[in-house]
Amino acid sequence: MNEQMKNPLDYTGKFSTELKFTATYKKYKNAPTAFREAMCLNAEYPDYFSPVKDGDLFAGRIEHGLVGFSPDEWGSTAFGYYCLFDKLSDEIDNLDDTDELKTDLIEMLEFWKTESTSSKLRAAYNDEMKAHLPSDDWMHDSGIAFPLYRLTGANIDFNKLLKIGIPGLRIELERNKIIAKQDNRDFEFYDAAQIALDVFSNVCDYYIQEINEQIGNVSDSNRKNELERIINSLRIIKESKPRTYHEAIQLMWIYSLISDTRNLGRMDIYLGDFLARDIDAGIIGEDEALLYLESLWKLIADRNTRVHGRIIIGGKGRPNIKNADKFALLAMEATRRVKEVEPQLSLRLYKGISNILYDKALDVIAEGATYPILYNDDVNIQSVSKSFNFDAVESENYVPYGCGEYILEHQSFGTPSGVINLLKALEITLHNGFDPVSKSKMGLPLGEFKDFKTFEALWDAYKSQVEFYVRMMADHEKLEYEIAGKEAPFLFMSMLYDNCIERGKGMFEGGVKYLGGTLETYGNTNTADSLYAIKKMVYDDQKVTAEKLLDALDSNFANDEKLRHDLKSLPKYGNDDDSADEMLMKVHNHVGNYTRDQAERVGLDSYLVVIINNSANTLMGNSTSASADGRLAFTHMNNGNAPSGGNDVNGPTAMLNSIAKPDTSIHAGSVQNMKFSKRMFTEHRDKLKALLNTYFEKGGAQAMLTVVDRGDLENAMKHPEQYRDLIVRVGGFSARFVELEPEVQRDILNRTLY
Amino acid sequence: MPSKTGIVFDIQRFSLHDGPGIRTTVFLKGCPLDCKWCHNPEAKSYIPQLSFDAEKCKNCFECVNACPNNVHQIVESNHVVMFDECKLAGECIAVCPTSALEIIGINNTADEIIEIVLKDLDYYKNSNGGVTISGGEPMAQFNLTKELLVRLKELKIHTAIETCGYSPTKKYAEILHLVDLFLFDFKETDEERHKLYTGVDNKLIRENLEFLLDNNAEVILRCPLIPGVNDNENHFKGIAELNKKHPNLKRIEIMAYHNAGFAKSKKIGLAPFDSEIPTADENQKQKWLNSFKALGVENVSIG
Ligand code: SF4
Ligand code: SF4
Repeated sequence: MNEQMKNPLDYTGKFSTELKFTATYKKYKNAPTAFREAMCLNAEYPDYFSPVKDGDLFAGRIEHGLVGFSPDEWGSTAFGYYCLFDKLSDEIDNLDDTDELKTDLIEMLEFWKTESTSSKLRAAYNDEMKAHLPSDDWMHDSGIAFPLYRLTGANIDFNKLLKIGIPGLRIELERNKIIAKQDNRDFEFYDAAQIALDVFSNVCDYYIQEINEQIGNVSDSNRKNELERIINSLRIIKESKPRTYHEAIQLMWIYSLISDTRNLGRMDIYLGDFLARDIDAGIIGEDEALLYLESLWKLIADRNTRVHGRIIIGGKGRPNIKNADKFALLAMEATRRVKEVEPQLSLRLYKGISNILYDKALDVIAEGATYPILYNDDVNIQSVSKSFNFDAVESENYVPYGCGEYILEHQSFGTPSGVINLLKALEITLHNGFDPVSKSKMGLPLGEFKDFKTFEALWDAYKSQVEFYVRMMADHEKLEYEIAGKEAPFLFMSMLYDNCIERGKGMFEGGVKYLGGTLETYGNTNTADSLYAIKKMVYDDQKVTAEKLLDALDSNFANDEKLRHDLKSLPKYGNDDDSADEMLMKVHNHVGNYTRDQAERVGLDSYLVVIINNSANTLMGNSTSASADGRLAFTHMNNGNAPSGGNDVNGPTAMLNSIAKPDTSIHAGSVQNMKFSKRMFTEHRDKLKALLNTYFEKGGAQAMLTVVDRGDLENAMKHPEQYRDLIVRVGGFSARFVELEPEVQRDILNRTLY
Repeated sequence: MPSKTGIVFDIQRFSLHDGPGIRTTVFLKGCPLDCKWCHNPEAKSYIPQLSFDAEKCKNCFECVNACPNNVHQIVESNHVVMFDECKLAGECIAVCPTSALEIIGINNTADEIIEIVLKDLDYYKNSNGGVTISGGEPMAQFNLTKELLVRLKELKIHTAIETCGYSPTKKYAEILHLVDLFLFDFKETDEERHKLYTGVDNKLIRENLEFLLDNNAEVILRCPLIPGVNDNENHFKGIAELNKKHPNLKRIEIMAYHNAGFAKSKKIGLAPFDSEIPTADENQKQKWLNSFKALGVENVSIG
């Protein structure tokens, strides 16, 4: 880089913000990190914000560029100072060689190859990690564990933000700066944070100007009013704390975008009072309040964070239950109307919660919304307290974020920065450190399957394999925080995370109160069912030899249909069968406890597994061979803590009894999907509630309910083996759908459910 | 005293339609009636029996070699099953690579049944549910049924039995105090036709129904309606009269015909019931309800 450095402001046109951002970074490369971050924020915002769209009742849409600063831009290597290398390469390839921009972009790409935060993290790996974590592409490559690079899942203190506003934050920064100076502590954090808040103001100004331009072209007086209201709110939140419901939402939304925190926490607490006040004062009616939420919901949906967008309602520890309930009802109604993948509305239930809320939730789910997701405070608060070592009162502030990981709102942080495929670990163990999929060495060679003379010997080998990777994932997590802390204070998040302002430090440089981590485990049920099958067939009953079984697995049961049938017919987790369920708990306790023990070793406040659902069970299943539970090669694995592929054939009570068995106090979240026919929500509402309440009493932590629809029944006809749990009403009796004659199935398809 | 045993062909947990709340329904095998339209043909015989599902069969013919009794035969490349020759030892099932073969009905003790039933105790409590003994005809395995009822009452679990009513009255008297709800089938008012379609006349059934109602048992009348077979004016009137005579009759449930029993009959080698009879559709059900309302019967619903 011997050429003259360009002035950041000289860039115009396509990718000018990326180039400006890069030039700014270079300029402040060696400045204090807080200051560098503030200047970089100033370079990317408001540019990455985009105009208000028709129908928006709030300002705030964002499109991140290919280079920028974010705790968690989507992409496997995009956190901190990030560069979306693949996309940028594509863009470069599309440019003409004579284009001057091409040279600039190539230079930029090369620069970030060593300077991006994820590159620095990779470079800091020790030899063992380099050797055993060769790939970041968990979606396509075969592997036991993969690191993820992201600082995701922050739940910032929106309640505080809305109470004191931007000016309140500025005062707090100023006050703490004085104290820091008195104590002879660094105070760059405070100055940098003030600059960040200036950037926040710039974003408001950008929208005020942008909307003013729009208004000129709007003839509809209604729309004009709406736009003027947005301008008003933007003016207010820049200068003072929000007074109204609209201002509060506007402030919360822009702050969420600019901080790039993607989960919105306990919204009924922080918006409930604003809502109640405005309605009581006659400022807005409920109809209007609902329209605001619908608009917010659509903005969240369009933001498309894929796996985030959590909003929590209900739960213990709400200071004003009446106002919060009022908001919660409105939120559920908004979800019923908007029906999008996000927000992931989540309702925390507890004994004594208003029945109106509970019933509204079931109404909304019955209409096919899949939300709210239900959480059981009566179990979770205790579990969180135990697994994280938080006290009981603190634990009331747990929130699930993303796919279902718990943290304490604005107190703890715990990004899931690793995935482990337990079934792959078993596969590799059975093959003595060889991966039949990639046809290469993988993991630890711990002996041939046939040489494990007892099941316990095999089990010990499996454990060692898993532990080897869990340790590396914990090391990666710790390293990720260290690098992040060295790189930047993450100003916007830190300003609203407990203790950071007092300490004058960013979250990852010692600011945050509790720093933890999580490890996503996949294939848990298939692994347990496979281990059970091996124990029973190879060791206990000796019906098949280790060699024979391994051959069958390697050939994907090509000539072993009968063996596969026998394996599939064995007891499986999810049927309230103690022997099968115990194996699941053995697998669960092992990985859960071992992972938890890593926290102390690597120096984190917690390190816990999560058993969540998203598409990883499918994607990682696609590179996992056939398993001893009878699962075919390259097919999906079980979802969350659920029984695998319709293997629960004893009905929902048995299934719930099973899934309530695993210890909930050794993980940071576990997800249970269940499907019911629509009639359960309507005709049999009381029974559905009794069913759920019993499950919750038995220790059930969570329930994600969906309604069986036509598509399910059609799929069940095509893939009956995955739908053995589906029970339907046929005339005067009930039957398992897949057992019925095709004729009868078609009849049910045509008449039931809707 | 050793626990009583009986032949059970299914235990269905989370059963929602055989009495109040969330229930477990225990299906006992064997029935003294022979209803033409039976949707549970595998419940008729008192002993276990082989079932063969041609849909699932892959024609590997492993079973042909495995069976010592020549039950499985290849006749003109078709898989033919000589059900009557089967000795139920299950050698064929052990070699079958699919679930095409099974033996329906196993010998269970009351202890074993109670153990399964107890797994859902909390669900019964929270939903005011309980246990239903059905069949087949539970009164036909009276010793087991009675022991189950006694045990369930000791455990304070709500009990229901589903009965066709064809059993000596003194047996009903013996369990009257143990049963919280009778789901009592009433299939045809006309005696001749009753005999024609079920193989027995309805005199004893009527007597038992009267006996239960006179003794203030809680009774829901369950009426299977088969289009063109027993959905006639005369039968409707008969039901309406019963209802009028016994104000303590809790409710009448119409069990609408579904031809799913057709396929099940084939699986166990029984001649299936008239395949021409169509499954009752929503329209048909509504018409039935209207006919009952016209006769002044209000407490009627589709079960
Ligand atoms: S063994 Fe099973 S699949 Fe093979 S012919 Fe017999 S019934 Fe059919
Ligand atoms: S159970 Fe035994 S006798 Fe019956 S068909 Fe199978 S092998 Fe033959």
